[in-house]
Amino acid sequence: MTRLNSNQVIALLLALLSVGYLAMAWQIPSFPLPRPIDSDLFPKVLGFTLLGLSVLLFLEKPKAKDVPEALDPNELQQPLLLRPWARVVVTAIALALYALLLVPVGFVLTSVALVFGLAAYYGYRRHWVNLATALGVVLGLYLTMTRIMGVYLPTGVLPI
Amino acid sequence: MEAFNNLMYGFSIALEPINILYVFAGVFAGTIIGMLPGLGPISALALMIPLTFGMEPSSGLILMAGVYYGAIFGGSTSSILLNAPGVAGTVATSFDGYPMAKQGMAGKALAIAAYASFIGGTVSIIFLMLVAPLLGRVAVSFGPAEYFSLMVLGLTAVVSLSDKSLIKGLIAAVVGVMISIMGIDLQTGTERFTFGTVHLLDGIDFLVVALGIFALTEVFFMLLRGGGGKEQPRNAIGSLKLSKSEVKEIAAPIGRSSILGFFTGVLPGAGATIGSFLGYSMEKRLAKDGDTFGKGNIKGVAAPESANNAACTGSFVPLLTLGVPGSGSTAVLLGALLVMGVSPGPAMLVDRPDVFWGVVASMYLGNIFLLVLNLPLIPLIAKILDMPRPLLLSLILIFCMLGVYGMSFSVFDLLLLLGFGLLGLGMRLFGFPAAPLILALILGDIMEESMRRALQISGGDWSIFIDKPISMWLLIIAALSLTLPLIKRMMARRSV
Repeated sequence: MTRLNSNQVIALLLALLSVGYLAMAWQIPSFPLPRPIDSDLFPKVLGFTLLGLSVLLFLEKPKAKDVPEALDPNELQQPLLLRPWARVVVTAIALALYALLLVPVGFVLTSVALVFGLAAYYGYRRHWVNLATALGVVLGLYLTMTRIMGVYLPTGVLPI
Repeated sequence: MEAFNNLMYGFSIALEPINILYVFAGVFAGTIIGMLPGLGPISALALMIPLTFGMEPSSGLILMAGVYYGAIFGGSTSSILLNAPGVAGTVATSFDGYPMAKQGMAGKALAIAAYASFIGGTVSIIFLMLVAPLLGRVAVSFGPAEYFSLMVLGLTAVVSLSDKSLIKGLIAAVVGVMISIMGIDLQTGTERFTFGTVHLLDGIDFLVVALGIFALTEVFFMLLRGGGGKEQPRNAIGSLKLSKSEVKEIAAPIGRSSILGFFTGVLPGAGATIGSFLGYSMEKRLAKDGDTFGKGNIKGVAAPESANNAACTGSFVPLLTLGVPGSGSTAVLLGALLVMGVSPGPAMLVDRPDVFWGVVASMYLGNIFLLVLNLPLIPLIAKILDMPRPLLLSLILIFCMLGVYGMSFSVFDLLLLLGFGLLGLGMRLFGFPAAPLILALILGDIMEESMRRALQISGGDWSIFIDKPISMWLLIIAALSLTLPLIKRMMARRSV
């Protein structure tokens, strides 16, 4: 069996998405009063268009710029947690944790931890400068938003 | 005379102390963000939106516009010093700017870029002032059918002018429209694609998507490409002075490219990048010493720099007069205006002249600030390029998270932001352009509404879109904009 190229794999995923989208579009209830076009028409047109485009994409050969470039081999020699994809995954997990902890722990603590922690993880070794910058920027943002612009930010465990 | 009176009114707004401060802050922030490789004007604009919460719309747009043209202006610095354009519109500047820097003439290249950008920006503000009200008057006669067709044209133009695959551009646009219509249908009250969660009843805010697929994606991409902790070497800057003969040499290219740039910017989908390339190739063709282009010719810096700044101002014409953004950056600006409660379009010139003329007048000030910033402060500003990348990346992440949370106070939106960041990374890795998605996201629901209103008027008769001459021509141009690149490609294949 011939191996599918990147465009074909994406096209199949998009085709699946468009079928799911169309199925949902068919479940949109009709408006009780008759209208020239109802809420479901535009989504149905979009679903079929995406399905058609995914067929065209399946037939299109990927160009060089459509395929991810190979990563730097030196970077791949590093310990697992410091490799390029690991950096993206760790950052994504850190952001998800940040989102979940923002309200219970508070903006200041979670934000300082995120800035300091990620900068150190990305390789910044001047920890005192890192901490001072993280504290300065986060407190500056917090005070600007809450005191000047009147935007509420969660205080969490801190009394301010 | 009317334009002069309006401009004076604009100056009365732009010269308010707080607005002077916003212009300065905008161009300063834009210059710095534009300098940082990887962070383009769209990311800069998206990051600035939270700062405009609660501002007067004229002040907010003054700040955002300053960031936009400041970013285009600032992009030239990293193009010249590092051969790493911070902004796509300054790629052409690096062709001759970087060779000049390597020859020890970085100061001269930066000074030429600053003068050329100043003149390009100023010339196009004059055009903007004269052309926009005329176009606004024509646009008043637009009905829902014409608006629908115009939005179709805006989308197809952005898709067709992207250097990536046409099919992928169209897919990005369709996905953008799909996202835009999520939530409650305002005409019937029906829920669409909410997956039964209350968080999606209002749909997905454009800021979540914009920050996700531009700023967050940029961070992920830098992490993936090893930008985490690496710093690039910087060259000495040298003298910034130009001789009389050099000034004479660049005067005509700057003039020509400014005009060309403005009209490129006005066309939906063209913008600063295409403007700068057109300016560069025009001067290369016209110059007697065309063979020295790419080796450090001063005209090769002057032409793209004046064209990209002129195009940037030109792109405000469709945004402010028709309410249709012609590029990803102006789409973010449109979103910001909508957040502030202002709907750009033909009525804006009448209803909110303070916003329109205030911004036009502030652009004069902004260009002067940019010149003042970029000449004496070049050596100082360039030091920002030394900011440790790890610290910079983590700060950008906080700005993104705060931007979204400060707007919606929703943890769900923060998780969505992360999702869009990852989606953007996938799109970037596999050659899907992001600009059509964001443009479609902004235009999608307005497009659907215009279509349905037009069909309501015609009693469901679809021929309304071709019976109305303006609508028909807009649709023909939209179809041509999609098919011409295909025909060109087929002809090129045959001739090989």
